[in-house]
Amino acid sequence: MKDGFIDRFLVVISTALMLTAIYTIFFYAPTEIMMGIVQKIFYFHLPMAFMAFLSYFVAFVCGVLYLIKKDIKWDIIGSASVEIGVVFTTLVLITGSLWARPIWNTWWTWDPRLTTSFILWLIYVAYLILRASVEQVDRRATFCAVMAIVGFIDVPIVFLSARLWRTIHPVVIKSRSIDIEPAMLTTLAISMAAFLLFWLTLLRIRSRVDFTELRIRNLEKIRRGGM
Amino acid sequence: MGLSLVILRKDLLIEIRRKDSVISMIFFGILLLFVMSMAIGIGRKVDPELASGILWISILFSSVLGLGRTFSLEKTNRCIDGLLISPVPPSSVFVAKTSVNFFFMLISEAVIIPVFFALHGDNITIGLAPLLATVLLLNLGFASVGTLFSGITAATRRNEVLLPLLLFPVITPLIAFTVKATGEIFAGVPFGEYSAWLRLMAAFGLIFSCAGYLLFDYVMKEN
Repeated sequence: MKDGFIDRFLVVISTALMLTAIYTIFFYAPTEIMMGIVQKIFYFHLPMAFMAFLSYFVAFVCGVLYLIKKDIKWDIIGSASVEIGVVFTTLVLITGSLWARPIWNTWWTWDPRLTTSFILWLIYVAYLILRASVEQVDRRATFCAVMAIVGFIDVPIVFLSARLWRTIHPVVIKSRSIDIEPAMLTTLAISMAAFLLFWLTLLRIRSRVDFTELRIRNLEKIRRGGM
Repeated sequence: MGLSLVILRKDLLIEIRRKDSVISMIFFGILLLFVMSMAIGIGRKVDPELASGILWISILFSSVLGLGRTFSLEKTNRCIDGLLISPVPPSSVFVAKTSVNFFFMLISEAVIIPVFFALHGDNITIGLAPLLATVLLLNLGFASVGTLFSGITAATRRNEVLLPLLLFPVITPLIAFTVKATGEIFAGVPFGEYSAWLRLMAAFGLIFSCAGYLLFDYVMKEN
């Protein structure tokens, strides 16, 4: 029951951190002069975008490991990661639109970052559809691993292709300096940490469901074999 | 490489005798050209960029028909088992099937593109050599990703439905490069100004033909 303890611990910690983040976002971070209260959505938007990307990276690594080791464990973690990634990407697109409407005066524009997020969403929703269409466990794991790898190889190409249109997305974090008020940066850091722990919690719980399912299936197989 | 040629020859021979893949691709492509001409309004003059979009939607959608058949052909009488126990390595099967799809697309394009020019050619410059380069590069990328995915979908319950759903999101960058390059060709822009798009298409084709070559091994073993 060590796993159960870690899960509960993670749930408590990430809830506490998330509440702290929400408090900091609304009561500690200064309100942006130009954009006003709308800017607060940024503290959710950016961490979620990072977590989505992290999910796809984890799925790619798990895909490679599965093809090499043929251990179903990697398939379970990888697919849980993609599911979470798709949820976060959806939220990134929605929060981005909500922000863009008052600031850019449009729900959507074909900016590289937006286009890339949208195409990533399409690729990984296709992954989930593929996953739902294959029943046999090994076969499904192999196909999903291939899809996760191909999808991830595509990410830089998608970004490059989207970049060749002009960009209006604000670049807050540049490679050298960060273009942001210190109090806002603290808030962003707390929010980032909260989302990272939340992501980890989700990943563990989601994959545990699949591990349990696998164990039940194996038990049923043994029982049927014994009878 | 020699073994790939054997499979390529077999598939081309089947196609010459049955003629169903390429004929349906050509027919569907022309049908799409007609449907889209109606959608934008019959008799309307199109600018080069829009024309490029119309041409490539017709070609891409009709090519999916051919892709779906690459492996469903092998499923009849479980021919795929024969292919798997034969001394042909899966990567050679990938090379062969990609070439088959490449050629089928080329044949159907050889009919669809002239029909397109007849319908919408009024405002468009015909640059034969750059257009041929674009076609060849598109076919390379499309056939590589398509062959890999058709290997996957052939082993699922919903082959024909699933294939375009997996394929199109992944090839969106290729479609973007192709449409841009063709738009500039149709506009009569000098080669130097759009050669960057062609290089990107070549890069896409190279990356995914290598990825397909390496990953196809795993896919074949699950069939």
